[in-house]
Amino acid sequence: MTKIVKLQGLQKKFGKFQALSDVTFTVEAGEVVGFIGPNGAGKSTTIRALLGIIKRDAGQAEIFGKDVWKESLEIHKRISYVPGDVALWGSLTGGEIIDLFMKLHGGGDKQKRDYLIKRFELDPKKKAKGYSKGNRQKVGLIAALSVESDLYIFDEPTSGLDPLMEAVFQEEVEKIKEAGKSILLSSHILSEVERLADRVVIIRQGEIVESGTLDELRHLTRSAVTLSTEGDVSQMEFVEGIHDFTQKDNEATFSADNKYINAILTEATKLGVKKFEAVPPTLEDLFMRHYEG
Amino acid sequence: MKEKFARWDTLFLQYLKRDWKKIIFWILGVGLFSGGFVPAFEEIAKGQGLIGMYETLQNPAMISMVGPTPIETAAEYTLGAMYAHEMLLFCGLFAMIMSVLHIVGHTRKEEDLGLTELVRSFQIGRQANSLAAMAEVIVINVLLALFISGLLMIFNVDTVSVHGSILFGTSIGVAGVIGAVIGLVMAQIMPASSSATGSSLGLVGLLYIIRAGTDVSNVDLSMFNPLGWTYLTYPFTENSWLPIIFALIFSAVMVSLAFALEGGRDMGAGYLPEREGREHARRSLLSVQGLFAKLNKGVIIGWLIGFAVMGAAYGSIYGDMQTFLESNEMMAQMFAQSGVSIEESFTGTIMMVMIVLVSILPIVIVNKLFAEESRLHLSQLHATKVTRGQFYWTTIGLAILSGLIGTLLAAGGLGGTAISVMSDHGALSIGDFLAAGYNFFPSVLFFIGLAALALGWAPKLGKIIYAYLGYSFILNYFGGILDLPGWFSKTAIQSWIPQMPMDSFDAPVFISITGISIALMIIGYLGYNRRDMIEGA
Repeated sequence: MTKIVKLQGLQKKFGKFQALSDVTFTVEAGEVVGFIGPNGAGKSTTIRALLGIIKRDAGQAEIFGKDVWKESLEIHKRISYVPGDVALWGSLTGGEIIDLFMKLHGGGDKQKRDYLIKRFELDPKKKAKGYSKGNRQKVGLIAALSVESDLYIFDEPTSGLDPLMEAVFQEEVEKIKEAGKSILLSSHILSEVERLADRVVIIRQGEIVESGTLDELRHLTRSAVTLSTEGDVSQMEFVEGIHDFTQKDNEATFSADNKYINAILTEATKLGVKKFEAVPPTLEDLFMRHYEG
Repeated sequence: MKEKFARWDTLFLQYLKRDWKKIIFWILGVGLFSGGFVPAFEEIAKGQGLIGMYETLQNPAMISMVGPTPIETAAEYTLGAMYAHEMLLFCGLFAMIMSVLHIVGHTRKEEDLGLTELVRSFQIGRQANSLAAMAEVIVINVLLALFISGLLMIFNVDTVSVHGSILFGTSIGVAGVIGAVIGLVMAQIMPASSSATGSSLGLVGLLYIIRAGTDVSNVDLSMFNPLGWTYLTYPFTENSWLPIIFALIFSAVMVSLAFALEGGRDMGAGYLPEREGREHARRSLLSVQGLFAKLNKGVIIGWLIGFAVMGAAYGSIYGDMQTFLESNEMMAQMFAQSGVSIEESFTGTIMMVMIVLVSILPIVIVNKLFAEESRLHLSQLHATKVTRGQFYWTTIGLAILSGLIGTLLAAGGLGGTAISVMSDHGALSIGDFLAAGYNFFPSVLFFIGLAALALGWAPKLGKIIYAYLGYSFILNYFGGILDLPGWFSKTAIQSWIPQMPMDSFDAPVFISITGISIALMIIGYLGYNRRDMIEGA
């Protein structure tokens, strides 16, 4: 596979603050990579360095095999970007801004634009200063999705969108994915990453601490389980893979290592399961788990 | 009442606590500037100084800049009379502008930023914020007035009387209150804080120019001008409190108006209607040039109208100059001896002041690019094939173009009006006026170059360019009055350029300053092209 994005030991300092100390990962052709990390971990800084908006201090950064700083314009012809906070000119309408973005990118699809405006239910005649956060985000998304690119970089693209619009976004991204495009998706919403990403990269304090498929990562974490049984539920406390066990009447809540989930279920059925609810680990759990070691 | 103003006092105390450093700087800055120059004026007044200065300030160009004096003979012109004559209008204007910026910044701007929304969710009256901000400005201006009065008294000069000192300080404080009420009304009418600030300052500028005209033609008419109610108190001479009473009544009416207007509108809305926009962009918008032109359109048009009005207002004075000379023998002799006509002398002085003001617009445009950058407006554009050079040079080009048009309108407005009101048409042609204006164009370029340099290497310093411009303005403004050493005057770039049509054109200076300016722009570009974009700063 060809490497679309290649980062090797990327570093960036702002004054004395080391924003990025070692960022290394790749995005292959046709791959969707989820880029996750807590606030201030360096996600947006990494993306800005990739776009040539800021200049890296050290390391290698390439898109399409070209240096992101020296050949940024060549690269920019074939990428689309949506920032996490789409700031717009208050005096222009959404429609005008979308047209402008498409024109400056070059080669947009007018029909696709109109189709997306309909799908995202955006009023393009309204001045941008009247838009809510979600509507500003829609403008950025529509502009980015209406043009033909090989790499799409989304920095928390759905922040401020309602769940319906989030679903629309995910459907549209799936279409791009099917068309064989590459996507770098930075997000806080694990369900979104889970649905779309082939691989996940976790950044913490300017360093990549984990990368792999979601299943690989999930495997390392625990689910939150609520269980009530016919028999005495307290017996479950000492089953392998169960942690933080608490009990109220005959209902127990605990966290379970995902790799022991089968063994836990087997034990539970012996007691006669009345209720079994398992909540998969949230992004927070993944991090918590990570911090705990 | 409670619904409207509940807990305004809490906000008020909070604001004093929040702003106390700013308030101290403000009072010290404006106060020392207004009251601290007595020793310097004592120097000027030595020997024949007072008489000389009296004659100088009878020149219409000077009256249009600093205002009139009620004194009719040079012998009666005391130090106090001179101090009030030269300082009061300008200091009042200074206090007014500070108040405009403060009141709009604490009312409409906070609304735009979404702070008001949060504040109003508490048990706070709908208009408590405006009342608190207004009360704060009044307190600041009262303190300012006391400070200035006290400062003047400390110098213990005979002709700077206690009564006059109190009136002088009060006049400046009242000027501040007038500025605040103008700002508060505009904050209700305009659709956003930037337009509220712009229109308030524009209005203050307009009042200033109108009074320049009425002061020269008929001082009684200046009494109808809110700005007139500051310097027409004539401290140390006539000591008239009547204008202060007018000003207080005016302020009370304006505050009531502002609160009525605010009560009738929704948060974040103005009274100027919003139209539905376009679904598609026009072809003219679809480029970096088109975008930047559109973004700066409002600012450019506003300032250009201002320049034209300014030129026309000063131009209207030319009609009265000969009449004025006939009534003032000494001045007539002075001009006859120097071989320069009064019109030529006036053109040279006024043109320099106007071109300093014309320089503001290009600096605004250059600084706008950094504002766009830090407001994240360009993030998505940086990810397209648009180069940084396109952003930079489009901005510089727009700045130069607006400087060219601004000079044309200011000089053309001055010349056009002057020629139409002068009885003796042969004296100056429109070409002379335009030549005098464009003669100063390198100074405009120089300011663009400085702003460009800051944009490229230290964008956060962009605002300092205004400070240097303000410094140049003051130096040029008072340069004719105060006897400054040559090197000191030369720290303002405009002083290097000869004043046409009095002096003749100096090609080497013209070319050198233009060359330096272009070099600054290129150096700025080198920085802009390689620095980190500062987003969200």
